[in-house]
Amino acid sequence: MAEYLPILLFLAVALLLSVAFVFLPIGVSRLTGAHKPTVAKLSEYECGFPAFEDSRSQFDVRFYLVAILFIIFDLEAAFLFPWAVTVLDLGWEAWGAMMVFLTILTVGFVYEWKMGALDWE
Amino acid sequence: MNYALWFQLASPEIVLSIAGLLLLLIAAWSSDKSARLVSILTVAAFFGALALSLNFLLADGYAEGADAFYGQYRMDRFAALSKVLIFLSAIACVIVAPKFFARDGMMRAEYPILILFASVGMGLMVSAVDLLTLYIGLELQSLAAYVLASFLRSDDRSAEAGLKYFVLGALASGILLFGMSLLYGFTGTTSFIGIQTAFSDGVSTGALFGVVFVLSGLAFKISAVPFHMWTPDVYEGAPTPVTTFFATAPKVAALALTMRVAIEAFGGQQSVWQQIVIFVAMASILLGGVAAIGQTNIKRLLAYSSINNVGFMLIGLACGTPEGASAMMTYLIIYVAMTLGSFICVLDLNDREGRPVEDIPKLAGLSRTRPGLAAALAVFMFSLAGIPPLFGFWGKFVVFDAAVAAGLIPLAALGIAASVIGAFYYLKVIKVMYFDEPADVIAPSDSTARLALIAVSALFVSPLGYFATLALSPITEDAARALFWAA
Repeated sequence: MAEYLPILLFLAVALLLSVAFVFLPIGVSRLTGAHKPTVAKLSEYECGFPAFEDSRSQFDVRFYLVAILFIIFDLEAAFLFPWAVTVLDLGWEAWGAMMVFLTILTVGFVYEWKMGALDWE
Repeated sequence: MNYALWFQLASPEIVLSIAGLLLLLIAAWSSDKSARLVSILTVAAFFGALALSLNFLLADGYAEGADAFYGQYRMDRFAALSKVLIFLSAIACVIVAPKFFARDGMMRAEYPILILFASVGMGLMVSAVDLLTLYIGLELQSLAAYVLASFLRSDDRSAEAGLKYFVLGALASGILLFGMSLLYGFTGTTSFIGIQTAFSDGVSTGALFGVVFVLSGLAFKISAVPFHMWTPDVYEGAPTPVTTFFATAPKVAALALTMRVAIEAFGGQQSVWQQIVIFVAMASILLGGVAAIGQTNIKRLLAYSSINNVGFMLIGLACGTPEGASAMMTYLIIYVAMTLGSFICVLDLNDREGRPVEDIPKLAGLSRTRPGLAAALAVFMFSLAGIPPLFGFWGKFVVFDAAVAAGLIPLAALGIAASVIGAFYYLKVIKVMYFDEPADVIAPSDSTARLALIAVSALFVSPLGYFATLALSPITEDAARALFWAA
């Protein structure tokens, strides 16, 4: 019996995930669909968009571009901190590795700048 | 520490990375005018990386391979053979793209660069001997692939394909990472050899969950049943050159990766993963064979065909023997040639206004309007169905042979039965092309590069391909041995 545990687990995971793909969106919309609206709940939060209006209305995709670019450079800083506190112990190898990383990031930054992703207009 | 050797071992990826960064700068400064130049330089970089990989594959002295970067990366003949296949497919996908995108004025310099970066990721995947290298390679490949799927961003279907691929791909990456964290937690290491050592005296229940989740994540990446649901939609919606790419290079990389994980990391506990691989292989063969029957879109049909073929290749892995691995590599080589050929044929199906034609009924009577193309497509369909004397038969034959030798006779019998079912829809395409009244929608070809690539692949899968087995079987056997060297 025990030797068939892996395949049993595999099938259970597969079934769970497939069921989740189909029923999770339905379930979520069913649960969230029964809303008890109040004016305060329905008003958009700070800089957000109105929640209930024509779904074909246009919104500015540039917000998302800026957000994604921010995350990229935010993560870069997250890598730099642990590196900065240990670089003296790790030596030239660590310094070289970080320089390669920063060079690649800089190429990406130059590309982004040149393609106009940083211009609002 | 021997940096000179390490950089030499990783030279194919280093060449491609540097080329990618330089070309990105060229693209930034000269925008889309340089698309042609960037494509040519990309192909040149790929040929450089191909030469370096071929050197590792054929030169003496690398038979057992060598580790680099503190056991994160290994270059051996298995990795080298996979890289040769990946780079060759990538070259074909760069060459066929400009004509396709030029019609919408969407040929941008980023297309070849994204293929370059995806190929760097795939090179890392097949050389990974540590879960972290594996994940970084997989993500580099996937991120480039998400963008490629939605490359025709003004086209609804392409955008949908990109979004669907991204959401489901991110989920699969999450499953994979979860499995890896369990493996790390229960074995205390991320290196394949370390996991193998930790598994030598049994697998704990926690680690078993890790194995199951890692295999589920990898099954998604090779689009094997029950994690195949994204494949038909993404293959149909993505621009055809991108679909050609998805069906060849990333599939080679993910299958090679699965082989290395199963045989090196989980090698000591074959009974644990073998039953999962057998189930996945069986389900993929059956579903790929049955679900394709009702399809009228040729790209969807080929998507199910690729699910079906992945099942056959996994039979080789299920054997868990060097013969099985060698058979799988042989099948993979033939699969790449067949798939490249059939998708490039699809690229060549355009109506008189130059719009792509994907409906199978519109191919009616193609044998009278475009006899050459119909013959080539027929050769690929017969070969995919595994009908002798075409080369596709040889791939199936070696896989079944290895399965019988490993004692998996029921699996082999089921595979043979299912390949007969699968033959139906391949033959249906041929019937429409040869025996129906001409619909006369397909215009003559406008690209000699496409025709040349179709001719080369058709020649390889024709019976002439059997001459190649003389050269190929020592190479695939070497590759399989390299895989088992550590196990």
